[in-house]
Amino acid sequence: MPENAQPSQQPVLRLQELTRVHGSGATEVHALRGIDLDVFPGELVAVMGPSGSGKSTLLTIAGGLDTPSSGRVIVEGTDITTVGRKQLAALRRRSIGYVFQDYNLIPALTAAENIALPRELDGTSARKARTEAVAALAEMGLEQLADRFPDEMSGGQQQRVAIARALVGDRRLVLADEPTGALDSETGESVLALLRTRCDAGAAGVLVTHEPRFAAWADRVVFLRDGTVVDQTIRSQADSLLTGQAAER
Amino acid sequence: MKTWYHSWRAALRIARRDAWRSKGRSLLVLSMIALPILGVSAFDLTLRSSELSAQEQLDRTLGRADAQITDPRFGGVALHQSPEADNYSPVGDFENEPWPDGPGDISKAVPAGATVLEDTVGMGKLRTAHGLLQTEIRELKAADPIADGIMWLTEGRFPERADEVAATSHFLEVSGLRVGSRLTARGLGTEYRIVGAYELPDSLETDQVNALPGALLAPLDKALRADGLPGTNPSTTQLVSVPGGFTWNMVKEANTHGMLVTSRAVALDPPADADVPLYQQNDQGRYEQSAVADATELAAAGTVVGLAMLEICLLAGPAFAVGARRSRRQLGLVGANGGDRRHIRAIVLGGGLVIGLASAVIGTALGLGLTYALRPVLEDYMGQRFGGFDIRPLELLGIALLAVLTGLLAAIVPAVTASRQTVLASLTGRRGVRRSSRVLPVLGLIAVALGAVIALYGSMMTDQFTIVAGGSAIAELGVVALTPALVGLFGRLGRRLPLSPRLALRDAVRNRGRTAPAVAAVLAAVAGTVAVSTYATSSDAQDRAAYQPRLPHGAISVMVDEDGGRDVPAIRTAVQKNLPVDLRADVDRISVGKPSCSMYAGDEGCGRYEVVVPKAHQCPLWSTGPEDPSEKFSKAERRKLAKDWRCAQDSVYSDVAGGVLIGDATLLKILGIKDTGAEKALADGQIVSFDKRNVDAAGKIGILLITDIEKADAAIQKGLPSPGTVKSFRAHQAPDDENAYGIAMVMTPATAKAAGISTLPLGAYYSTGALPTSAQKQKLDGELAKTGSQVNLHIEAGFTSNHNIVLLALTVFAGLVTIGAAGIATGLAQADAEADLKTLAAVGAPARVRRTLSGFQCGVVAAMGVLLGSAAGVLPAIGLRLTERRAQLTFHQRALDEGWGALTTPYVPVVIPWGTLAALLVAVPLGAAILAALVTRSHRTLGRRAAT
Repeated sequence: MPENAQPSQQPVLRLQELTRVHGSGATEVHALRGIDLDVFPGELVAVMGPSGSGKSTLLTIAGGLDTPSSGRVIVEGTDITTVGRKQLAALRRRSIGYVFQDYNLIPALTAAENIALPRELDGTSARKARTEAVAALAEMGLEQLADRFPDEMSGGQQQRVAIARALVGDRRLVLADEPTGALDSETGESVLALLRTRCDAGAAGVLVTHEPRFAAWADRVVFLRDGTVVDQTIRSQADSLLTGQAAER
Repeated sequence: MKTWYHSWRAALRIARRDAWRSKGRSLLVLSMIALPILGVSAFDLTLRSSELSAQEQLDRTLGRADAQITDPRFGGVALHQSPEADNYSPVGDFENEPWPDGPGDISKAVPAGATVLEDTVGMGKLRTAHGLLQTEIRELKAADPIADGIMWLTEGRFPERADEVAATSHFLEVSGLRVGSRLTARGLGTEYRIVGAYELPDSLETDQVNALPGALLAPLDKALRADGLPGTNPSTTQLVSVPGGFTWNMVKEANTHGMLVTSRAVALDPPADADVPLYQQNDQGRYEQSAVADATELAAAGTVVGLAMLEICLLAGPAFAVGARRSRRQLGLVGANGGDRRHIRAIVLGGGLVIGLASAVIGTALGLGLTYALRPVLEDYMGQRFGGFDIRPLELLGIALLAVLTGLLAAIVPAVTASRQTVLASLTGRRGVRRSSRVLPVLGLIAVALGAVIALYGSMMTDQFTIVAGGSAIAELGVVALTPALVGLFGRLGRRLPLSPRLALRDAVRNRGRTAPAVAAVLAAVAGTVAVSTYATSSDAQDRAAYQPRLPHGAISVMVDEDGGRDVPAIRTAVQKNLPVDLRADVDRISVGKPSCSMYAGDEGCGRYEVVVPKAHQCPLWSTGPEDPSEKFSKAERRKLAKDWRCAQDSVYSDVAGGVLIGDATLLKILGIKDTGAEKALADGQIVSFDKRNVDAAGKIGILLITDIEKADAAIQKGLPSPGTVKSFRAHQAPDDENAYGIAMVMTPATAKAAGISTLPLGAYYSTGALPTSAQKQKLDGELAKTGSQVNLHIEAGFTSNHNIVLLALTVFAGLVTIGAAGIATGLAQADAEADLKTLAAVGAPARVRRTLSGFQCGVVAAMGVLLGSAAGVLPAIGLRLTERRAQLTFHQRALDEGWGALTTPYVPVVIPWGTLAALLVAVPLGAAILAALVTRSHRTLGRRAAT
């Protein structure tokens, strides 16, 4: 896995001419209008915009939870708009990880079991999946959480476990929808620092947020309004330094 | 290694933990499934444990003997028997004459070199702490090794001397005596000491006393006969031990001497049918249950199990649906992490599997434990000791599997529904429109039509009850399948309702997927209850109409036909003392032959009497002699004769054989006879007759005294008059409208005495001011039991129904199911309605709306189920009644055609049980609604988002 984002590499996620229309006739709503976006390994892209700009729709379509009205969604070289339901589920098990605003974890499973779930659903033996999960937790310094149930963890801990789950196994794409929305700002910062580290380690990330403060962690910020990209900025050097310090903290 | 079961393991883990997290719901479903499993497994265990092996059964009958030789009283005539000795018949042609009668010589049947132990059983009245008790007296040397295993000693020892006895535990309990007490028999001066207690493992409730051979029965018999009373009526069998066992050939040899043998060796290793002469005889084939009967039984049992499982699934299904709906976000998360439809299905099905497995384990374990713990109680209840604690692992496993299957079946529909939700809808809590299946209503319609056709065919073309019932069951299943469609019809009623009920009804109709199973569960339970109630109420009305009082209302009769009536005076007094009687009329009966003869027995030295019916008054249909009435009369003649006064049949049987009572004018008063001439006629020495057929043209009645019964029977067979002495009396015929309750005639003791007819005390009639209370009756029963006599006591309280308790229990059951199912559906609706309630609160609805809404949601489900169930239950019951009416009318017409006598036209009403219906239709939905409203919290803390 490459150390940093290399534009010459194949993108992990590629959106081409993506449109999404909800409803029809009088109730017709154009959520996305011809979006193009590439996310490369090692890159964290923030998506910003006002309410109803299509941020969440973009994320659900990118992860295969929703289907576009037209356009292509290519994840790790596979056009997910053309595959069947079963293959799509398999893609979510093997390639795509989600982090939502809150209630990300299955309450009936411990942290380790939550992380192991995609692997177990994929048919990996429980023992092997657990070993991988505990390793993933250890990598983030969270091994003490392995056997805790979600209701025994703080919100920040839950989100960190969710990030670990999003990247377990061979998964390289993490789609985060307001992952810090339910957290206080300090915890939010530390969660984003973790996400940043994972991307620095080679993962590709898409972060939906409406807080510029959190968007500052990203390599690129994409501004959406009424379903179209209105602006793109590249992360400044100063931001990069800040991120580096924050990650070391 | 990647395999499918790894993903199943993860699904099961989630299901298991979820079941544990929502303990209340899991416990509800668990008990619904586990309770029937407990019952069935306990029943299986009890049944299997009480079934004895052939060896165990033989030990209890034979002890350690090889065989038991019994005299079947064929007078020594050779017989053929089955190897198990449960079937036998004398050798020879006895088609047209009675079987031989009389004792044979049992000693001839005992093989040479055999050891013999005599076992004699007779009856006698023994003195107890409370009075007298008719008791079995068994003379068997129980301490002999051969008898070991027949009587199980529980205390003390078996008798060793002639003045010692042992008694069954039940006898000791009933008699108030104990080991060490003194025991005497009525009519015998000798005193015996009770030295031990025992039980007969196969009949724990037998009152039996064991004495040494010759110690009690013979002296008691002698003493009783000396007093002119019936003896102890002893019968003897021989327990035989033969070196090498009692072979089939030895059994056949004993059969030639007219003796019946139960042989251990033969029973354990029966000979081939070809070697059993009994089976080679004409029409004496081996009795076997037909395959059809087996199949019918199996089908009936299968239907009951199937319907019970359906009912449980209908009740438990919505509970799983509630679970799936509540954990919608969790299922969405699984989807987001790559779980596809089969994983979601596996999680919800896993819930069913987990609960099913838990129910199976808990149900069978409790069944085992309870049966083991309650074994002595069960044994006492069944009156028999178990052979052993017989656990059949395969049967229990089968029963446990039923639980697992029920759990899985109940979870199938919720699992499929949950898996069809898109991940996005699950995650965002968005509610899609849930369409109900289109196949189900079609299947339902087909089943209803098919069932109706079968039931109609059954009731129109045949008289077969089972066809009608089977057709109704199929139609009922069809209605259950049609429920979603029927629920949809209710939606149109909503427009005019106020807010809460309108919301509740719309919600129920729009979400048929969750409403229908609950409505169907209520429907099934209510339909069954209403069907049984309608049927029972109707047959109650029929029984009430057909009820014939045996006495005027409130009158009492007491009759004793034993020991020449020597206990009658004491019993007459006991009734008078314990019940609130006004008048008492003592009655006697005519006795012919020895005073010890009973009214009906034809023992040696006993005779009987007959009332002579004048030739012109005899019913031509019955006095054809050996000729068949159908050959002598045409169909029209037979129909006409059936309504002739000479052929009228009394529907009430008289308490006295022959219909002649010896009594006085008080008896007429108690019977409510208004004819003033009757009293005068009695005083005048006449017979008062209530049946004009018995009075001849000269106004006289003849009573024929028959001393030789055998001769009389032979004469009757040939159509000749019976030989005997005729006593003639002047008679007074009471008017036709007087009801004497089956008594043909009354004469005074003086009249009988003057005519030289001997009489015996029989009993008494009483009139009462008020019906006796239960306490008074119990006290009297206690007093009567002390006499040890067989007393026939009748208190005329009019018609009483036996169905009331059953109907009440069924109604309560249906009510509970309704409330349970409606409650589950309400819980499900509440889980869905959270968003609506928030909206309502936002637009300013008061807090109580939450309560009233849940109340109406519960009430709506209950009301729909009860309404549909009542309709579905009343119809088959009416069908069944109409079938019965047809069958009885057909029989009535045939009876008239064949000249079987004047029967009243059958009255088979159809009565709708309005009381039960009202309770089910009004009270139950109302109760369910109020209950749901009460248990719903009116406030709920606001959450940011629907929690998992």
